Amino acid sequence: MPFEELEHTADVKMRISAPDFLSLLAESGDAMSSVLFGDFAKEPETLTLDIEAEGADTAELVVNFLSELLFLTEVEYLVPMSYSLTKTENGISGTVSGIEFDRAKHAGGICVKGISYSGLSVSETEAGFELTIIFDI
Amino acid sequence: MHEKIQRINDTEWEIPKGFVENMRVSGRFFLSDLLAEGIEDGALTQLANVACLPGIIRHSYGMPDIHWGYGFPIGGVAAFDETEGIISPGGVGFDINCGVRMITTPLTEADLTDKQGLIEELFEAVPTGVGAKSPIRLSQSDLTLMLEEGARHAVELGYGCAADVGRCEENGAMEGADVSAVSKKARQRGVPQMGTLGSGNHFLELQTAEEILDEETAKTFGVREGQLCVMIHCGSRGLGHQVCTDHLKVLEEAVKKYGIELPDRQLACAPLDSPEGQAYFGGMAASANYAWANRQVITHIVREIFVRRFEIDYEEMPLIYDVAHNVAKWEGHDVDGVRKRVCVHRKGATRAFGPGRAEVPHEFRAAGQPVIIPGSMGTSSYLLAGTDGAMSQTFGSTCHGAGRVKSRSSAKKSLTGDAVAAELLKEGIYVRAPNPAAIAEEAPDVYKPSSEVVRTVSDAGISKIAVRLRPLGVIKG
Repeated sequence: MPFEELEHTADVKMRISAPDFLSLLAESGDAMSSVLFGDFAKEPETLTLDIEAEGADTAELVVNFLSELLFLTEVEYLVPMSYSLTKTENGISGTVSGIEFDRAKHAGGICVKGISYSGLSVSETEAGFELTIIFDI
Repeated sequence: MHEKIQRINDTEWEIPKGFVENMRVSGRFFLSDLLAEGIEDGALTQLANVACLPGIIRHSYGMPDIHWGYGFPIGGVAAFDETEGIISPGGVGFDINCGVRMITTPLTEADLTDKQGLIEELFEAVPTGVGAKSPIRLSQSDLTLMLEEGARHAVELGYGCAADVGRCEENGAMEGADVSAVSKKARQRGVPQMGTLGSGNHFLELQTAEEILDEETAKTFGVREGQLCVMIHCGSRGLGHQVCTDHLKVLEEAVKKYGIELPDRQLACAPLDSPEGQAYFGGMAASANYAWANRQVITHIVREIFVRRFEIDYEEMPLIYDVAHNVAKWEGHDVDGVRKRVCVHRKGATRAFGPGRAEVPHEFRAAGQPVIIPGSMGTSSYLLAGTDGAMSQTFGSTCHGAGRVKSRSSAKKSLTGDAVAAELLKEGIYVRAPNPAAIAEEAPDVYKPSSEVVRTVSDAGISKIAVRLRPLGVIKG
């Protein structure tokens, strides 16, 4: 399992791991989607949107990437399914693909208010990268 | 309890300077013996960290529903000096002006011949949960006016009556709202979410005023025993969350620019008189106004349903009051015998102004400001009044709710939403939510008992209990 939920009193705390940093961002996107939409089946994508994020360090880049993704889920009603990301000088750019929110399929989750530095840590491990993050709900 | 914590009396405790390094003042918090058993060390450390912030006056305060939050603990209160002090989104929260309002009806429980039908109709009419879409078409110019004028503009658009505005804290619109400090992204999130409930601990609840605990105060507030009431708990939705996110980035830099030493990055802040601090204040005030408009639109939807189902008049459902839980505001308070203008941060705390304050609606002024404390789905909510004790002890502040004690993940592991809903139904409480997990995560026993929390603020003298309300039906987001 690339991500798992940890104990937290008020919010949702997750530990996410991936072999490289771009995969970590994609996995963190999937983790947030599981909070937002619950367990949902992946389907062929019908919607592809641009996504860009910058950050002075890996923590800031994670926060900015997920904040941008959260924005797309709320404004474009995107349920993300897959990511195509490349590194840029100060961050990442690429696309996120998915389908439009459908209450019958995607109402199993809870709104995420924001992505914060609270309890956030990104570390390099022997297996790649590990992220601990709290979704403010 | 941590060994360095000192007990002052039955309900009040002190975190002495030195608990963490660089505390400018001590911390004070209010807990009964029962509530003290469950206090998290992390929340106490956060309370102590707040005491390190520049310009903090008197103490860093924790209300009885205190728990671990982002930056400030939930249930945290702090007042800052006008010239030396700071403003921090960590002292407000992502959901700016998350708050609660209470409406009365001329009905009683006996009139609820089809409670399930009513709850289902409310659930369909008030968009809830993830993916909810606004029930109204909001133009950009009307959004701007809502950011500036809050509940007043919602009423002008037909969502309410004129009397509602005066029954909101700040008359439903904070001064100092700066539309230019609300980003395009925030506006994009705000337009499709006006009039939506959100999720998490947000709810719309049908209640009965089961017990009048202070006859005179209840009468002043216009609540009588057996009366059917509606409570609405929600905030500024994605717009407020985006404003918080946007300004946090700026304030992270401001911390370096102004050389502010912080014990915790989550307390990012700027001097109150700095451009960065003023921009955050303006954006936060605009978001708070959006939240008042949001609750106003939802109120209108609820009233229309009641008018149609029960053949009552719209005006027979007056707003008793609307309070903010997450906000920073300029207020006048007596500090060492001198009236000073201070910036009070309340993060999961409620303003509880005592009798005589000009900010309290004139019809309630003798009793003190109405304070609305929601319980959890299965436990009572309360209507209280602010006191002189709150003015002298906590910068006119009290608790905001029950306060969580159990994590969402453990709640989901030990409870199923269907089982919780079935148990509540046995007690006569019909719950409706977009999914069962939303019910399990908000089950009554994941919260501190609301009765104990309000008893503690009453014993501490910072609020007076007037009415206990029992839940009958709940919509969870």
